[in-house]
Amino acid sequence: MRSVTINPARMCQPIGAMYALFGVHAAVSLVHGSQGCAAYPMRMFNRHFRELVQVAVSSLGEDASVFGGKKNLTTAIKNVIARRHPELIGVITTCLSETIGDDIDGIIREGKYECKVVPIHTPSYVGSHVTGYDNALCSLVSHLSKEPDAVDERINIVPGMVNPGDIMEIKQMLDSMNVSYTILSDISETLNAPLMLPKPPFPEGGTSVDEIEDCANACGVISLCEHAGGSAAVFLKGKYGMAADTICPIGVENTDRFLAAVCDMTGGGIPNSLEKERGRLIDAMVDVHMKTYGKRAAIFADPDIALALAEFVTELGMDVVIISSSTASRKFLQKAKSVTDGGEILNGRDLYELHRAVKDREVDILFGNTKCKPIAKDEGVAFVRCGFPVYDRVGYHRYGIMGYHGGVYLTDMIMNAILEWEERE
Amino acid sequence: MRQIAIYGKGGIGKSTTTQNLTAALSTMGKRVLQIGCDPKADSTRMLVGGKRQPTVLDTLREVGTENVTLEEVVHTGFGGIKCVEAGGPEPGVGCAGRGVITAINLLEELGAYTGDLDFVFYDVLGDVVCGGFAMPMREGKAREIYIVASGEMMALYAANNICKGIVRFAKQSGVRLAGIIGNSRKVENEFELLTAFSERIGSHLVHFIPRDNIVQRAEINKKTVIEYAPDSTQAKEYLHLAKNVIENDNFVIPRPLEYEELEELMMEFGVLA
Repeated sequence: MRSVTINPARMCQPIGAMYALFGVHAAVSLVHGSQGCAAYPMRMFNRHFRELVQVAVSSLGEDASVFGGKKNLTTAIKNVIARRHPELIGVITTCLSETIGDDIDGIIREGKYECKVVPIHTPSYVGSHVTGYDNALCSLVSHLSKEPDAVDERINIVPGMVNPGDIMEIKQMLDSMNVSYTILSDISETLNAPLMLPKPPFPEGGTSVDEIEDCANACGVISLCEHAGGSAAVFLKGKYGMAADTICPIGVENTDRFLAAVCDMTGGGIPNSLEKERGRLIDAMVDVHMKTYGKRAAIFADPDIALALAEFVTELGMDVVIISSSTASRKFLQKAKSVTDGGEILNGRDLYELHRAVKDREVDILFGNTKCKPIAKDEGVAFVRCGFPVYDRVGYHRYGIMGYHGGVYLTDMIMNAILEWEERE
Repeated sequence: MRQIAIYGKGGIGKSTTTQNLTAALSTMGKRVLQIGCDPKADSTRMLVGGKRQPTVLDTLREVGTENVTLEEVVHTGFGGIKCVEAGGPEPGVGCAGRGVITAINLLEELGAYTGDLDFVFYDVLGDVVCGGFAMPMREGKAREIYIVASGEMMALYAANNICKGIVRFAKQSGVRLAGIIGNSRKVENEFELLTAFSERIGSHLVHFIPRDNIVQRAEINKKTVIEYAPDSTQAKEYLHLAKNVIENDNFVIPRPLEYEELEELMMEFGVLA
């Protein structure tokens, strides 16, 4: 094992926490740390979603690092409330505030504020952006959810770090089944907002604080990404005895399983429109199979997306020769063994290692975010952009790859990437 | 200019010993700067007659880094000794280790280390619990470390741990163990045990300060023994220590003991068992 990381594959925890908070209506992310900890993630969001996101920061300086950041934090909370009138503030910790041991929970509990304030612990030397999302969602649900008083047939969906387009696909499927649901949390409109004047103080859409408070009245919870949001599902199951499942609906079988789980929880059935969508996906796959069959694929993404993508490209007849997760995890390692047939598994390794593997394994097609572009270029392989962040092309956040309809879009993208690659040769 | 850091277990008498040592050095005509690196900020108390002086970090917090001046944080005490307290956060909040780093950096920026000084002393809190408290041994600041110890197991255990810290920084920063200063707790065979321990780790016992109630009396009067009772036998002990420090040229990279070795040593001198 090398003792240095070259081209890290992961981002820091606060990015994941902000991702989760952007999906809550009228919520403000307040980073408790130094300014760079807010500036760098904001730039990431600007580039991927092409939206002007706003993040507050308590601006810890030299003296706050020594004497503790209590004063900065309480002042910041008051300022954010006075200026933005949010419904919720998520206080996102950083390496600095975690290491000096600021008692965020205690400081927040002491203060009396006009809006909900939730502490979210995100030290970046543990895990990655995925862990940050997971911690944020779990904090939101555990701090806000109230004891159930009237359980109905609604389900909770914890999407994880997916695109607005993916959430739209999920919503459309659930709508067509007449299933009511709460998305925890829903960035489908907040990070794909219409440009209209006058500009509202907060983007429309997103999950309301009321909905989060009421989420224990749902009959079940499905987390699409176990590593990003799974803890919230485990919490709901443990505290309220809610039925819980985790399925990432990318590809035919995964989407089948997802819909079956929804039916199990809600007692609903699959409408004809979804049967047709499934048929269209199968048709799209059959149309391209002569080009996709036998292609050697390398997949780099967050752990759950990587696993589900691997299953989908296997359905397309590809061989998964490399599967690489941005975040190291034992669960990923176990599952990766079952989705690759002797392929190389990179568990939280850096992009230098991915590059090495792509070179060694005679890869035809690479799946990854923008940071993988140089690898695809250097090694002359077909490249399909997915995950976060994608900033060297526009629009990727708008279109979903989840569900049957998303699968059609993904199949087309894969096929076009292969065709372009062949033309280049 | 010799830069010296004094380490040792909490409550062992570091501050008392350091203040008496620097007071003794000043009566021998040496120019001394003493920096207290402890959030309690009581390291130079007896040199300034018990006054609580504004610490570097308090001043920094009040006026901002750009506006701190040396005059605000350096106070002249007994024998012309320049006294500085780094200060730090209240117990249980913030980061005292970071405070030490900030304070020492600021003193350097402000030019507190003037060429006319003979000695700079850092009086550092208890164990080297984190990187901040190792600051005085890093980056070529203090080159000589003295460890205050008694014949008690935990004092030697702490001294041994501090030696491990010295070994860690010895190569890159040139820091060396200059010796053990015995501060008696009237434990049986204390002098022999401390001598043996010092030799076992490859160093020497610089001086053994006997226990004397006059130290407490002087402390109640907010004075060092050197100032309060300059003709007492205890004052002579501190002067002797000062002389030994001036003449000392035994600077080594220590060989810290394994825990079992340390226990054996204690058994040998009949303290344990």
